[in-house]
Amino acid sequence: MQMMRVSERLAWLALALAAASSALAQEPRQWLERMNQALTSRNYDGVFSHWQDGRVEMLRIIHRNQNGQVTERLASLDGSGREFIRTGTELTCYLPDKRTVLVESQPGGAGSLLASFPSFDEKSAGFYDIQEVMRTRINRRDTRVIAVTPRDEFRYGYRLWIDETTAMPLKTQLCDAHGRIIEQVVFASLTLASHIADAAFRPEVATDGFQWLRNDPTPVGAGVPNTSALWSALKLPPGFRMTVRSAQVLPGAHDPVAHLVFTDGLASVSVFVESRSAEVPRDQPALSGVASVGSASAFSTVIDGHKVTAVGEVPPATVRFIASSVKRSELPLAAGPSGH
Amino acid sequence: MNEELDSQLSAMFDDELPQGECELLARRLSRDAALQARWGRYAAIGAVVRGDVRVGSSVAYKVHAVIAAESAPAAQRPVAFAGSGGRTASLWLRGVAGAALAASVAAVSILWLQGGLPGGAGVLVARAPVPAAAAPETRASYVVPRAVESRMTVPATELANYVVAHSEFSTPVSRRNLLSALMASEPAAVGAPEQSLGSVDDPNPHADDAR
Repeated sequence: MQMMRVSERLAWLALALAAASSALAQEPRQWLERMNQALTSRNYDGVFSHWQDGRVEMLRIIHRNQNGQVTERLASLDGSGREFIRTGTELTCYLPDKRTVLVESQPGGAGSLLASFPSFDEKSAGFYDIQEVMRTRINRRDTRVIAVTPRDEFRYGYRLWIDETTAMPLKTQLCDAHGRIIEQVVFASLTLASHIADAAFRPEVATDGFQWLRNDPTPVGAGVPNTSALWSALKLPPGFRMTVRSAQVLPGAHDPVAHLVFTDGLASVSVFVESRSAEVPRDQPALSGVASVGSASAFSTVIDGHKVTAVGEVPPATVRFIASSVKRSELPLAAGPSGH
Repeated sequence: MNEELDSQLSAMFDDELPQGECELLARRLSRDAALQARWGRYAAIGAVVRGDVRVGSSVAYKVHAVIAAESAPAAQRPVAFAGSGGRTASLWLRGVAGAALAASVAAVSILWLQGGLPGGAGVLVARAPVPAAAAPETRASYVVPRAVESRMTVPATELANYVVAHSEFSTPVSRRNLLSALMASEPAAVGAPEQSLGSVDDPNPHADDAR
Protein backbone atom coordinates (compact mmCIF):
# COMPACT_ATOMS: atom_id res chain seq x y z
CA MET A 1 0.00 0.00 0.00
CA GLN A 2 2.87 2.22 0.95
CA MET A 3 4.60 1.35 -2.33
CA MET A 4 1.49 2.27 -4.24
CA ARG A 5 1.47 5.63 -2.61
CA VAL A 6 5.09 6.23 -3.51
CA SER A 7 4.57 5.21 -7.11
CA GLU A 8 1.45 7.32 -7.28
CA ARG A 9 3.37 10.27 -5.95
CA LEU A 10 6.13 9.70 -8.48
CA ALA A 11 3.57 9.50 -11.25
CA TRP A 12 1.96 12.72 -10.12
CA LEU A 13 5.37 14.33 -9.83
CA ALA A 14 6.27 13.25 -13.37
CA LEU A 15 2.95 14.55 -14.61
CA ALA A 16 3.47 17.85 -12.86
CA LEU A 17 6.99 18.16 -14.26
CA ALA A 18 5.74 17.38 -17.77
CA ALA A 19 2.98 19.93 -17.40
CA ALA A 20 5.43 22.53 -16.12
CA SER A 21 7.81 21.79 -18.97
CA SER A 22 4.99 22.05 -21.49
CA ALA A 23 3.82 25.31 -19.96
CA LEU A 24 7.35 26.66 -20.13
CA ALA A 25 7.60 25.76 -23.81
CA GLN A 26 4.27 27.38 -24.52
CA GLU A 27 5.02 30.62 -22.72
CA PRO A 28 6.79 32.36 -25.65
CA ARG A 29 3.77 31.64 -27.84
CA GLN A 30 1.50 33.04 -25.18
CA TRP A 31 3.54 36.23 -25.25
CA LEU A 32 2.87 36.48 -28.98
CA GLU A 33 -0.85 36.05 -28.35
CA ARG A 34 -0.78 38.65 -25.59
CA MET A 35 1.09 41.04 -27.85
CA ASN A 36 -1.44 40.66 -30.66
CA GLN A 37 -4.24 41.11 -28.16
CA ALA A 38 -2.62 44.25 -26.77
CA LEU A 39 -1.99 45.74 -30.21
CA THR A 40 -5.61 45.34 -31.21
CA SER A 41 -7.55 45.82 -28.00
CA ARG A 42 -5.70 48.61 -26.18
CA ASN A 43 -5.87 52.34 -26.66
CA TYR A 44 -2.44 53.81 -27.34
CA ASP A 45 -0.63 56.77 -28.81
CA GLY A 46 2.99 56.31 -29.77
CA VAL A 47 5.84 57.63 -31.85
CA PHE A 48 8.19 55.14 -33.42
CA SER A 49 11.04 54.94 -35.87
CA HIS A 50 10.70 52.66 -38.85
CA TRP A 51 14.02 51.48 -40.28
CA GLN A 52 14.22 49.63 -43.53
CA ASP A 53 16.98 49.37 -46.08
CA GLY A 54 19.01 52.18 -44.54
CA ARG A 55 16.11 54.62 -44.36
CA VAL A 56 14.58 55.85 -41.13
CA GLU A 57 11.19 57.49 -40.87
CA MET A 58 9.45 58.68 -37.75
CA LEU A 59 5.76 57.88 -37.54
CA ARG A 60 2.99 58.35 -35.03
CA ILE A 61 0.32 55.77 -34.39
CA ILE A 62 -2.88 56.38 -32.46
CA HIS A 63 -5.05 53.33 -31.89
CA ARG A 64 -8.42 53.06 -30.19
CA ASN A 65 -10.69 50.10 -29.65
CA GLN A 66 -14.04 51.33 -28.45
CA ASN A 67 -16.52 48.55 -27.93
CA GLY A 68 -14.91 46.53 -30.69
CA GLN A 69 -14.82 49.43 -33.17
CA VAL A 70 -11.22 50.01 -34.19
CA THR A 71 -10.07 53.50 -35.09
CA GLU A 72 -6.45 54.07 -35.98
CA ARG A 73 -4.36 56.88 -37.35
CA LEU A 74 -0.87 56.36 -38.72
CA ALA A 75 0.90 59.55 -39.71
CA SER A 76 4.33 60.28 -41.13
CA LEU A 77 6.17 62.86 -39.05
CA ASP A 78 8.77 63.33 -41.77
CA GLY A 79 8.69 64.69 -45.28
CA SER A 80 5.79 63.07 -47.11
CA GLY A 81 3.02 64.07 -44.69
CA ARG A 82 1.12 60.91 -45.55
CA GLU A 83 -1.61 59.71 -43.21
CA PHE A 84 -3.58 56.49 -43.05
CA ILE A 85 -6.79 56.58 -41.03
CA ARG A 86 -8.83 53.48 -40.32
CA THR A 87 -12.38 53.70 -39.09
CA GLY A 88 -13.95 50.32 -38.65
CA THR A 89 -13.40 48.49 -41.91
CA GLU A 90 -12.63 51.59 -43.97
CA LEU A 91 -9.04 52.65 -44.49
CA THR A 92 -8.39 56.10 -45.94
CA CYS A 93 -4.90 56.82 -47.25
CA TYR A 94 -4.02 60.50 -47.59
CA LEU A 95 -1.09 60.90 -49.98
CA PRO A 96 -0.46 64.67 -50.19
CA ASP A 97 2.71 64.16 -52.20
CA LYS A 98 0.55 62.57 -54.90
CA ARG A 99 -2.49 64.76 -54.24
CA THR A 100 -4.48 61.57 -53.96
CA VAL A 101 -6.74 59.95 -51.36
CA LEU A 102 -7.34 56.20 -51.52
CA VAL A 103 -10.36 54.82 -49.70
CA GLU A 104 -10.43 51.09 -49.18
CA SER A 105 -13.62 49.67 -47.71
CA GLN A 106 -13.93 46.08 -46.72
CA PRO A 107 -17.43 44.66 -46.77
CA GLY A 108 -18.46 43.02 -43.52
CA GLY A 109 -19.06 43.94 -39.95
CA ALA A 110 -16.91 45.97 -37.63
CA GLY A 111 -15.44 42.84 -36.16
CA SER A 112 -14.13 41.46 -39.43
CA LEU A 113 -10.86 43.34 -39.12
CA LEU A 114 -9.92 41.52 -35.95
CA ALA A 115 -11.25 38.25 -37.31
CA SER A 116 -9.01 38.35 -40.37
CA PHE A 117 -5.74 37.75 -38.52
CA PRO A 118 -3.84 34.62 -39.40
CA SER A 119 -4.35 31.92 -36.82
CA PHE A 120 -1.17 30.50 -35.33
CA ASP A 121 -1.86 26.85 -34.59
CA GLU A 122 0.02 23.64 -34.00
CA LYS A 123 0.85 23.22 -37.68
CA SER A 124 2.19 26.75 -37.81
CA ALA A 125 4.44 26.11 -34.84
CA GLY A 126 6.22 23.43 -36.82
CA PHE A 127 7.65 25.97 -39.21
CA TYR A 128 9.12 28.32 -36.63
CA ASP A 129 11.23 28.05 -33.50
CA ILE A 130 9.73 30.36 -30.90
CA GLN A 131 11.89 31.05 -27.88
CA GLU A 132 12.31 33.59 -25.16
CA VAL A 133 15.96 34.46 -25.61
CA MET A 134 16.41 36.95 -22.81
CA ARG A 135 14.85 39.49 -20.52
CA THR A 136 16.11 43.00 -20.79
CA ARG A 137 15.10 46.57 -20.14
CA ILE A 138 14.28 49.16 -22.74
CA ASN A 139 14.36 52.59 -21.19
CA ARG A 140 13.44 51.38 -17.73
CA ARG A 141 10.75 48.98 -18.92
CA ASP A 142 11.16 45.24 -18.37
CA THR A 143 10.77 43.35 -21.61
CA ARG A 144 10.79 39.76 -22.78
CA VAL A 145 12.70 39.20 -25.98
CA ILE A 146 10.92 36.59 -28.06
CA ALA A 147 12.69 35.21 -31.12
CA VAL A 148 10.59 33.67 -33.87
CA THR A 149 13.00 31.88 -36.18
CA PRO A 150 11.86 30.37 -39.47
CA ARG A 151 12.93 26.81 -40.21
CA ASP A 152 13.25 27.39 -43.93
CA GLU A 153 13.75 30.25 -46.32
CA PHE A 154 10.15 30.66 -47.37
CA ARG A 155 9.34 32.97 -44.47
CA TYR A 156 10.84 35.68 -42.31
CA GLY A 157 11.44 35.67 -38.58
CA TYR A 158 10.95 38.19 -35.83
CA ARG A 159 12.64 39.41 -32.70
CA LEU A 160 10.16 41.11 -30.40
CA TRP A 161 10.84 43.12 -27.26
CA ILE A 162 7.52 42.77 -25.43
CA ASP A 163 6.76 44.93 -22.41
CA GLU A 164 6.10 42.67 -19.43
CA THR A 165 3.37 44.86 -17.97
CA THR A 166 1.37 45.83 -21.02
CA ALA A 167 2.42 43.17 -23.60
CA MET A 168 3.01 45.97 -26.10
CA PRO A 169 5.99 45.43 -28.41
CA LEU A 170 8.46 48.25 -27.72
CA LYS A 171 10.81 47.10 -30.43
CA THR A 172 10.39 44.67 -33.31
CA GLN A 173 12.81 43.35 -35.86
CA LEU A 174 11.95 41.43 -39.00
CA CYS A 175 14.79 39.08 -39.91
CA ASP A 176 15.55 36.76 -42.76
CA ALA A 177 16.36 33.09 -42.33
CA HIS A 178 19.99 33.99 -41.57
CA GLY A 179 19.04 36.41 -38.81
CA ARG A 180 19.83 39.53 -40.80
CA ILE A 181 17.61 42.46 -39.88
CA ILE A 182 15.36 43.57 -42.73
CA GLU A 183 13.12 45.99 -40.91
CA GLN A 184 13.08 47.49 -37.41
CA VAL A 185 10.52 49.44 -35.45
CA VAL A 186 11.46 51.09 -32.14
CA PHE A 187 9.02 53.09 -30.07
CA ALA A 188 10.42 56.37 -28.83
CA SER A 189 7.27 57.15 -26.87
CA LEU A 190 4.18 55.20 -26.06
CA THR A 191 1.21 56.24 -23.98
CA LEU A 192 -1.60 53.92 -23.03
CA ALA A 193 -4.83 55.75 -22.32
CA SER A 194 -8.25 54.76 -21.12
CA HIS A 195 -9.86 57.08 -23.65
CA ILE A 196 -8.76 58.81 -26.83
CA ALA A 197 -10.95 61.58 -28.22
CA ASP A 198 -12.32 61.53 -31.77
CA ALA A 199 -10.31 64.67 -32.57
CA ALA A 200 -7.11 62.62 -32.46
CA PHE A 201 -8.22 60.75 -35.56
CA ARG A 202 -8.85 63.75 -37.80
CA PRO A 203 -6.34 64.13 -40.67
CA GLU A 204 -4.09 67.15 -40.78
CA VAL A 205 -3.96 66.98 -44.57
CA ALA A 206 -5.98 69.58 -46.52
CA THR A 207 -7.43 67.66 -49.46
CA ASP A 208 -8.60 70.52 -51.68
CA GLY A 209 -8.09 69.54 -55.31
CA PHE A 210 -7.06 66.00 -54.44
CA GLN A 211 -8.06 63.02 -56.54
CA TRP A 212 -10.23 60.60 -54.55
CA LEU A 213 -10.06 56.92 -55.45
CA ARG A 214 -12.67 54.86 -53.69
CA ASN A 215 -13.53 51.21 -54.03
CA ASP A 216 -17.04 49.85 -54.13
CA PRO A 217 -17.57 48.15 -50.79
CA THR A 218 -20.58 46.26 -52.10
CA PRO A 219 -19.90 42.56 -51.68
CA VAL A 220 -19.59 40.70 -54.91
CA GLY A 221 -22.96 39.05 -55.28
CA ALA A 222 -25.79 38.54 -57.65
CA GLY A 223 -24.86 41.35 -60.01
CA VAL A 224 -21.17 40.53 -60.35
CA PRO A 225 -19.75 37.09 -60.95
CA ASN A 226 -17.41 35.91 -58.23
CA THR A 227 -14.47 34.86 -60.34
CA SER A 228 -12.39 34.03 -57.29
CA ALA A 229 -13.95 30.57 -57.21
CA LEU A 230 -12.21 29.81 -60.49
CA TRP A 231 -8.73 30.24 -59.08
CA SER A 232 -6.58 28.20 -56.73
CA ALA A 233 -2.94 27.24 -56.22
CA LEU A 234 -1.72 23.88 -57.37
CA LYS A 235 1.34 23.94 -55.15
CA LEU A 236 2.29 25.93 -52.09
CA PRO A 237 5.44 26.34 -50.02
CA PRO A 238 5.48 24.05 -46.98
CA GLY A 239 3.04 25.09 -44.29
CA PHE A 240 0.99 27.54 -46.35
CA ARG A 241 -2.74 27.01 -46.81
CA MET A 242 -5.53 29.02 -48.36
CA THR A 243 -7.68 30.79 -45.79
CA VAL A 244 -9.63 33.36 -47.78
CA ARG A 245 -11.11 33.37 -51.25
CA SER A 246 -13.03 36.50 -52.12
CA ALA A 247 -13.56 39.11 -54.80
CA GLN A 248 -13.35 42.85 -54.36
CA VAL A 249 -13.15 46.05 -56.33
CA LEU A 250 -9.99 47.99 -55.55
CA PRO A 251 -9.94 51.80 -55.43
CA GLY A 252 -9.88 53.28 -58.92
CA ALA A 253 -10.76 50.00 -60.63
CA HIS A 254 -13.98 49.04 -62.41
CA ASP A 255 -13.87 45.28 -62.32
CA PRO A 256 -13.55 43.06 -59.28
CA VAL A 257 -10.34 41.18 -58.70
CA ALA A 258 -10.16 37.73 -57.21
CA HIS A 259 -8.37 37.87 -53.87
CA LEU A 260 -6.92 34.70 -52.41
CA VAL A 261 -5.07 34.66 -49.08
CA PHE A 262 -2.53 32.03 -48.12
CA THR A 263 -0.97 31.84 -44.68
CA ASP A 264 1.24 29.64 -42.55
CA GLY A 265 -0.36 31.11 -39.44
CA LEU A 266 2.14 33.95 -39.11
CA ALA A 267 3.18 35.08 -42.57
CA SER A 268 0.53 35.68 -45.18
CA VAL A 269 0.44 36.18 -48.92
CA SER A 270 -2.38 37.67 -50.96
CA VAL A 271 -2.87 36.76 -54.59
CA PHE A 272 -4.85 39.13 -56.79
CA VAL A 273 -6.15 37.92 -60.14
CA GLU A 274 -7.63 40.31 -62.65
CA SER A 275 -8.41 40.30 -66.33
CA ARG A 276 -5.80 41.95 -68.52
CA SER A 277 -6.97 45.10 -70.18
CA ALA A 278 -8.55 44.81 -73.62
CA GLU A 279 -5.56 46.51 -75.24
CA VAL A 280 -3.26 43.68 -74.27
CA PRO A 281 -3.43 40.84 -76.79
CA ARG A 282 -4.22 37.54 -75.15
CA ASP A 283 -1.44 35.83 -77.06
CA GLN A 284 1.20 38.23 -75.81
CA PRO A 285 3.92 36.30 -73.95
CA ALA A 286 3.61 36.24 -70.21
CA LEU A 287 5.85 38.80 -68.56
CA SER A 288 6.79 38.75 -64.94
CA GLY A 289 8.48 40.93 -62.41
CA VAL A 290 9.27 41.48 -58.77
CA ALA A 291 8.89 44.53 -56.59
CA SER A 292 8.98 45.36 -52.90
CA VAL A 293 7.28 47.78 -50.57
CA GLY A 294 9.19 47.80 -47.33
CA SER A 295 9.60 44.22 -46.25
CA ALA A 296 6.70 43.12 -48.43
CA SER A 297 7.57 41.36 -51.63
CA ALA A 298 5.42 41.34 -54.73
CA PHE A 299 5.55 39.26 -57.86
CA SER A 300 3.35 39.66 -60.90
CA THR A 301 2.90 37.39 -63.86
CA VAL A 302 0.31 36.61 -66.49
CA ILE A 303 -1.52 33.30 -66.42
CA ASP A 304 -4.19 32.29 -68.87
CA GLY A 305 -4.86 35.85 -69.95
CA HIS A 306 -5.09 37.17 -66.39
CA LYS A 307 -2.68 39.25 -64.41
CA VAL A 308 -1.74 37.41 -61.22
CA THR A 309 0.02 39.37 -58.50
CA ALA A 310 1.18 37.94 -55.17
CA VAL A 311 1.99 40.28 -52.27
CA GLY A 312 3.15 39.37 -48.80
CA GLU A 313 5.60 39.92 -45.98
CA VAL A 314 7.69 36.97 -47.12
CA PRO A 315 10.89 36.58 -49.15
CA PRO A 316 10.62 37.32 -52.90
CA ALA A 317 10.99 33.62 -53.71
CA THR A 318 7.82 32.81 -51.80
CA VAL A 319 5.54 35.28 -53.60
CA ARG A 320 7.04 34.16 -56.89
CA PHE A 321 6.41 30.53 -56.02
CA ILE A 322 2.80 31.11 -55.07
CA ALA A 323 1.91 33.42 -57.94
CA SER A 324 3.42 31.02 -60.45
CA SER A 325 1.41 28.14 -58.99
CA VAL A 326 -1.99 29.77 -59.38
CA LYS A 327 -4.16 28.07 -61.93
CA ARG A 328 -7.62 28.58 -63.31
CA SER A 329 -10.25 25.90 -63.10
CA GLU A 330 -12.80 25.35 -65.82
CA LEU A 331 -15.65 25.25 -63.33
CA PRO A 332 -16.12 27.25 -60.15
CA LEU A 333 -14.92 25.30 -57.15
CA ALA A 334 -17.77 24.41 -54.87
CA ALA A 335 -15.81 24.14 -51.66
CA GLY A 336 -13.12 26.24 -50.14
CA PRO A 337 -12.60 29.12 -47.80
CA SER A 338 -14.57 32.27 -48.33
CA GLY A 339 -13.62 35.75 -47.34
CA HIS A 340 -15.68 38.63 -46.16
CA MET B 1 34.09 72.22 -17.52
CA ASN B 2 31.44 71.61 -20.14
CA GLU B 3 33.84 72.52 -22.88
CA GLU B 4 36.39 70.15 -21.47
CA LEU B 5 33.83 67.36 -21.36
CA ASP B 6 32.68 68.11 -24.89
CA SER B 7 36.28 68.04 -25.99
CA GLN B 8 36.80 64.68 -24.28
CA LEU B 9 33.62 63.25 -25.76
CA SER B 10 34.59 64.46 -29.17
CA ALA B 11 38.05 62.97 -28.84
CA MET B 12 36.55 59.73 -27.59
CA PHE B 13 34.20 59.58 -30.53
CA ASP B 14 37.07 60.21 -32.89
CA ASP B 15 39.17 57.53 -31.25
CA GLU B 16 41.75 60.10 -30.17
CA LEU B 17 41.33 59.93 -26.39
CA PRO B 18 44.00 57.96 -24.51
CA GLN B 19 42.69 54.62 -23.34
CA GLY B 20 42.97 55.46 -19.63
CA GLU B 21 40.87 58.57 -20.08
CA CYS B 22 38.45 56.58 -22.22
CA GLU B 23 37.84 54.18 -19.36
CA LEU B 24 37.27 57.00 -16.89
CA LEU B 25 34.95 58.83 -19.23
CA ALA B 26 33.06 55.66 -20.11
CA ARG B 27 32.43 54.98 -16.42
CA ARG B 28 31.19 58.51 -15.91
CA LEU B 29 29.10 58.24 -19.06
CA SER B 30 27.38 55.14 -17.77
CA ARG B 31 26.33 56.97 -14.57
CA ASP B 32 25.70 60.53 -15.68
CA ALA B 33 22.39 61.08 -17.48
CA ALA B 34 23.32 64.62 -18.51
CA LEU B 35 26.52 63.39 -20.02
CA GLN B 36 24.63 60.66 -21.85
CA ALA B 37 22.34 63.28 -23.33
CA ARG B 38 25.38 65.26 -24.45
CA TRP B 39 26.81 62.16 -26.08
CA GLY B 40 23.44 61.64 -27.73
CA ARG B 41 23.67 65.05 -29.30
CA TYR B 42 26.52 63.91 -31.46
CA ALA B 43 24.71 63.50 -34.72
CA ALA B 44 26.84 60.60 -35.81
CA ILE B 45 25.57 58.41 -33.01
CA GLY B 46 22.19 58.39 -34.68
CA ALA B 47 23.76 56.98 -37.79
CA VAL B 48 25.65 54.45 -35.72
CA VAL B 49 22.56 53.27 -33.91
CA ARG B 50 20.65 53.01 -37.16
CA GLY B 51 23.35 50.80 -38.54
CA ASP B 52 24.84 53.31 -40.92
CA VAL B 53 28.44 53.30 -39.77
CA ARG B 54 29.87 54.85 -42.89
CA VAL B 55 30.05 58.26 -41.31
CA GLY B 56 31.46 57.03 -38.04
CA SER B 57 35.01 56.62 -36.91
CA SER B 58 36.54 53.41 -35.71
CA VAL B 59 35.25 54.06 -32.22
CA ALA B 60 31.82 54.71 -33.66
CA TYR B 61 32.08 51.37 -35.34
CA LYS B 62 33.10 49.69 -32.09
CA VAL B 63 30.23 51.33 -30.27
CA HIS B 64 27.90 50.13 -32.96
CA ALA B 65 29.29 46.63 -32.59
CA VAL B 66 28.71 46.71 -28.85
CA ILE B 67 25.21 48.05 -29.33
CA ALA B 68 24.52 45.28 -31.79
CA ALA B 69 25.92 42.77 -29.33
CA GLU B 70 23.86 44.17 -26.47
CA SER B 71 20.74 44.25 -28.61
CA ALA B 72 21.17 40.79 -30.05
CA PRO B 73 19.86 37.72 -28.27
CA ALA B 74 22.41 36.21 -25.92
CA ALA B 75 23.07 33.28 -28.18
CA GLN B 76 24.00 35.57 -31.06
CA ARG B 77 26.38 37.89 -29.27
CA PRO B 78 29.93 38.03 -30.55
CA VAL B 79 32.16 35.69 -28.61
CA ALA B 80 34.85 38.34 -28.29
CA PHE B 81 32.93 40.09 -25.55
CA ALA B 82 32.66 36.95 -23.49
CA GLY B 83 36.37 36.24 -23.55
CA SER B 84 39.20 37.77 -21.60
CA GLY B 85 41.23 39.01 -24.54
CA GLY B 86 41.17 42.77 -25.04
CA ARG B 87 39.49 43.05 -21.70
CA THR B 88 40.32 46.66 -21.05
CA ALA B 89 38.89 47.83 -24.32
CA SER B 90 35.79 45.71 -23.99
CA LEU B 91 35.17 46.97 -20.46
CA TRP B 92 35.02 50.60 -21.40
CA LEU B 93 33.13 49.77 -24.54
CA ARG B 94 30.56 48.00 -22.43
CA GLY B 95 30.15 51.14 -20.40
CA VAL B 96 29.83 53.19 -23.54
CA ALA B 97 27.37 50.72 -24.95
CA GLY B 98 25.04 51.14 -22.03
CA ALA B 99 25.27 54.86 -22.29
CA ALA B 100 24.95 54.85 -26.02
CA LEU B 101 21.86 52.71 -25.84
CA ALA B 102 20.27 55.21 -23.50
CA ALA B 103 21.54 58.13 -25.51
CA SER B 104 20.30 56.68 -28.74
CA VAL B 105 16.78 56.76 -27.43
CA ALA B 106 17.25 60.12 -25.78
CA ALA B 107 18.52 61.52 -29.05
CA VAL B 108 15.18 60.81 -30.67
CA SER B 109 12.80 61.31 -27.83
CA ILE B 110 12.29 60.37 -24.23
CA LEU B 111 10.36 57.18 -23.94
CA TRP B 112 7.53 57.38 -21.52
CA LEU B 113 5.09 54.65 -20.83
CA GLN B 114 2.00 55.06 -18.79
CA GLY B 115 0.51 51.87 -17.51
CA GLY B 116 -3.15 52.68 -17.93
CA LEU B 117 -5.04 49.47 -18.39
CA PRO B 118 -8.27 50.24 -20.21
CA GLY B 119 -8.92 46.61 -20.82
CA GLY B 120 -8.17 45.63 -17.26
CA ALA B 121 -6.06 42.72 -16.24
CA GLY B 122 -8.19 40.46 -18.34
CA VAL B 123 -6.30 41.53 -21.39
CA LEU B 124 -3.20 39.82 -20.16
CA VAL B 125 -4.80 36.64 -18.94
CA ALA B 126 -2.83 33.74 -20.30
CA ARG B 127 -4.69 31.24 -22.31
CA ALA B 128 -4.65 27.60 -21.39
CA PRO B 129 -1.46 25.85 -22.43
CA VAL B 130 -1.78 23.92 -25.62
CA PRO B 131 0.04 20.70 -26.46
CA ALA B 132 3.58 20.92 -27.72
CA ALA B 133 4.00 21.71 -31.37
CA ALA B 134 4.18 18.78 -33.70
CA ALA B 135 7.02 18.60 -36.16
CA PRO B 136 6.01 19.48 -39.68
CA GLU B 137 5.24 16.56 -41.87
CA THR B 138 7.45 17.69 -44.70
CA ARG B 139 10.36 19.97 -44.26
CA ALA B 140 13.18 17.69 -45.23
CA SER B 141 13.79 19.23 -48.60
CA TYR B 142 12.92 22.41 -50.32
CA VAL B 143 14.42 24.50 -53.02
CA VAL B 144 14.09 28.23 -52.99
CA PRO B 145 13.77 29.51 -56.52
CA ARG B 146 16.05 32.29 -57.64
CA ALA B 147 14.43 35.69 -57.54
CA VAL B 148 14.19 37.53 -60.80
CA GLU B 149 15.25 41.12 -60.45
CA SER B 150 13.06 42.59 -63.13
CA ARG B 151 10.63 45.40 -62.61
CA MET B 152 7.04 45.06 -61.59
CA THR B 153 4.34 44.57 -64.19
CA VAL B 154 1.71 46.51 -62.30
CA PRO B 155 1.53 50.27 -61.95
CA ALA B 156 2.84 51.39 -58.59
CA THR B 157 -0.48 52.84 -57.46
CA GLU B 158 -2.06 49.49 -58.10
CA LEU B 159 0.72 47.88 -56.10
CA ALA B 160 -0.06 50.24 -53.24
CA ASN B 161 -3.70 49.17 -53.45
CA TYR B 162 -2.66 45.54 -53.30
CA VAL B 163 -0.48 46.14 -50.25
CA VAL B 164 -3.29 47.97 -48.47
CA ALA B 165 -5.80 45.23 -49.31
CA HIS B 166 -3.32 42.56 -48.25
CA SER B 167 -2.54 44.26 -44.94
CA GLU B 168 -6.06 43.47 -43.75
CA PHE B 169 -5.05 39.82 -43.58
CA SER B 170 -1.73 40.21 -41.81
CA THR B 171 -0.82 39.98 -38.15
CA PRO B 172 -1.06 43.25 -36.19
CA VAL B 173 2.72 43.74 -36.28
CA SER B 174 2.94 42.99 -40.00
CA ARG B 175 -0.02 45.22 -40.75
CA ARG B 176 1.56 48.14 -38.97
CA ASN B 177 4.89 47.49 -40.68
CA LEU B 178 3.32 47.18 -44.12
CA LEU B 179 1.46 50.45 -43.80
CA SER B 180 4.51 52.15 -42.30
CA ALA B 181 6.64 50.99 -45.20
CA LEU B 182 4.04 52.16 -47.68
CA MET B 183 3.98 55.51 -45.96
CA ALA B 184 7.75 55.76 -46.01
CA SER B 185 8.11 54.68 -49.64
CA GLU B 186 9.67 57.05 -52.07
CA PRO B 187 7.08 58.37 -54.51
CA ALA B 188 9.08 56.73 -57.29
CA ALA B 189 8.70 53.37 -55.63
CA VAL B 190 4.98 53.56 -55.20
CA GLY B 191 3.76 56.06 -57.70
CA ALA B 192 5.93 55.45 -60.73
CA PRO B 193 4.28 54.71 -64.06
CA GLU B 194 4.27 51.22 -65.38
CA GLN B 195 7.77 49.91 -65.77
CA SER B 196 9.39 47.93 -68.51
CA LEU B 197 9.23 44.23 -67.97
CA GLY B 198 11.69 41.45 -67.80
CA SER B 199 11.44 37.79 -68.61
CA VAL B 200 11.10 35.04 -66.10
CA ASP B 201 12.34 31.52 -66.00
CA ASP B 202 10.09 28.69 -65.03
CA PRO B 203 9.90 28.16 -61.28
CA ASN B 204 9.11 24.64 -60.29
CA PRO B 205 10.56 24.12 -56.85
CA HIS B 206 9.68 21.10 -54.83
CA ALA B 207 6.93 21.80 -52.40
CA ASP B 208 3.84 20.51 -50.79
CA ASP B 209 0.74 20.15 -52.80
CA ALA B 210 -1.84 22.79 -52.14
CA ARG B 211 -4.34 21.95 -49.53
